[in-house]
Amino acid sequence: MALDLSGKQYAQVPFEEKQRLFNEVKADFRFDEYLYGCYECGVCVAACPSARFYDFSPRKIAQTAAREDVDLFYVFLNDSIWDCSQCFSCDRCPRQNSPGGLITVMREVAVKNGLASAQEALEGYGRIVYKIMSTGTQVSPDMLQPNAFPDWGPHVKEISNNLDVWRRALPPETLHTTETGWAVDDKTVIELYLIWHMTGVMDIIKEVDEGLFMILQDVMEERLEEAGYDASFN
Amino acid sequence: MPEQSILIIGGGPAGMEAARGVADLGYRAILVEKRSCLGGMPDEAGYAALTPDFRSASEATAEMVAAIENNANVTIRLNSTVTAATGRLGDFEVTLKNGQTAEKVKAGAVIIATGFQHFDPGRETQQYGYYEFDDVITLVDLEKMLKEHNVVRPSNGQPPERLCFIQCVGSRDRQIGNEYCSKVCCGVASKEAIEVRQQLPNCKVFIFYIDMRMYGYWENLIYWPAQEKYKVSYIKGIATEIMKKGDRLLVRGEDTTMGRPMEVPMDIVVLSVGMESSAGTREMAQIFGLKQNKYKFIETIGGALNTVTTNVEGVFVCGAATGPADLEDTVSSANAAAMKALAAVQRTQRLAG
Repeated sequence: MALDLSGKQYAQVPFEEKQRLFNEVKADFRFDEYLYGCYECGVCVAACPSARFYDFSPRKIAQTAAREDVDLFYVFLNDSIWDCSQCFSCDRCPRQNSPGGLITVMREVAVKNGLASAQEALEGYGRIVYKIMSTGTQVSPDMLQPNAFPDWGPHVKEISNNLDVWRRALPPETLHTTETGWAVDDKTVIELYLIWHMTGVMDIIKEVDEGLFMILQDVMEERLEEAGYDASFN
Repeated sequence: MPEQSILIIGGGPAGMEAARGVADLGYRAILVEKRSCLGGMPDEAGYAALTPDFRSASEATAEMVAAIENNANVTIRLNSTVTAATGRLGDFEVTLKNGQTAEKVKAGAVIIATGFQHFDPGRETQQYGYYEFDDVITLVDLEKMLKEHNVVRPSNGQPPERLCFIQCVGSRDRQIGNEYCSKVCCGVASKEAIEVRQQLPNCKVFIFYIDMRMYGYWENLIYWPAQEKYKVSYIKGIATEIMKKGDRLLVRGEDTTMGRPMEVPMDIVVLSVGMESSAGTREMAQIFGLKQNKYKFIETIGGALNTVTTNVEGVFVCGAATGPADLEDTVSSANAAAMKALAAVQRTQRLAG
């Protein structure tokens, strides 16, 4: 569906709120080296894989930020930035802009502020976030289940039926991490939990996924208390 | 013995620079100017800062005037116009009129430096309402405000919160008849946009354009700083009309690269008016029998390799009398004209000798 650039869909959001979010992006220390000025030449779109599949334009995002068009910026902040694959092909800009980098900053702001779009975009990744944050390891191949990845399409169900067979058909060993992936040194896990808390990652999770936050909090609290830390962080 | 003096018509940057060139080579220049002072358009229109280097226009003009004013090789005739010319290379006789007084002067060669005039936006582009709305002004009007550090809405005397430039007014338009690009307006508008942002940091500034034409170093001297440092918004799309909405102006156009129609309120709309041949340029073409192009600028006959020679032997042209020109073009062609005029006179002298 074509993206509505009229801004009418967000007419009820106060301009001050849009301006606040724009200012937050602009205040990021990376902003000035990610965005200079935009020729609106389209080389970034030409290089962009996502632009082939979605109504997505890194150019429009960059030029909107350069023009400081706050209303339109809000549209992209909500409706476009999650279409980016963060491959940075757009970095071939003659003005040395990085539309992809700008989108990184915008995503961070969207997540920190718990925007609905961020919640929706991250919904399918709850399992991954849970795995990484609770164990410090990445996703193991046995996690490819339809309920874990609702946005990965109907073929996930089909593959998951015989996942073990598919995996074994691959020449290299791929299933060994299903067990080792969960085993992380106690001290490392505790340090990781402290990092999540102290750097504000837990606050961000709370903004975008309250349920996930509560599960993580439970898991972490127990192990942190065992290790002698006050896990309430109040 | 052929006459060696060079008669230069027009006391703007082109004429002054040509006179200095002739004098520097040790020959006599007679500089004719219809106004009561030298300086030409930058002085007459009250330019604030020059494009692209932001140098004070008054200071630069004063420097050019000083180079010829007390120069033994330069004779200056102010308040004077050329009314008739006879003769040929090495032997021109030109009639100057100062009020009721006529004077005939001899010259070996003539340089036309009668410049341009700004396009009158009330003439064809009525949809922009230049004579209808107080807050629709031109680059020239804004230049005066910038010079006085008093950029305000003419309608109410208040500083603008939103100001835009509309490019190519009177240029690149088959219906108006001026199909050419006026060359300087992109640079001048961007320069003025920077100055507005400097003087009024809270004023949002937009430039609506067809193509931004900022050749060579103008790119990073003006265009990039305007966009990157001063946050001037460049929007590809030309306004179709300007209307009144409340006490503001409403600019209607298309934001082409964003692919959506646009209706934006503005406090001041600045029309980036282009260049047309001046009355003086057209008169001199008649008096000297010079070929003009379809836009009534004086035609040069040497193509790309000779930018100052006209169809009449011994008559040369420089600056914006040949077509749209920036200052860099103007002083360059002025020096080329001085050199070619002297070379022509000396060639005649050798043949006569």
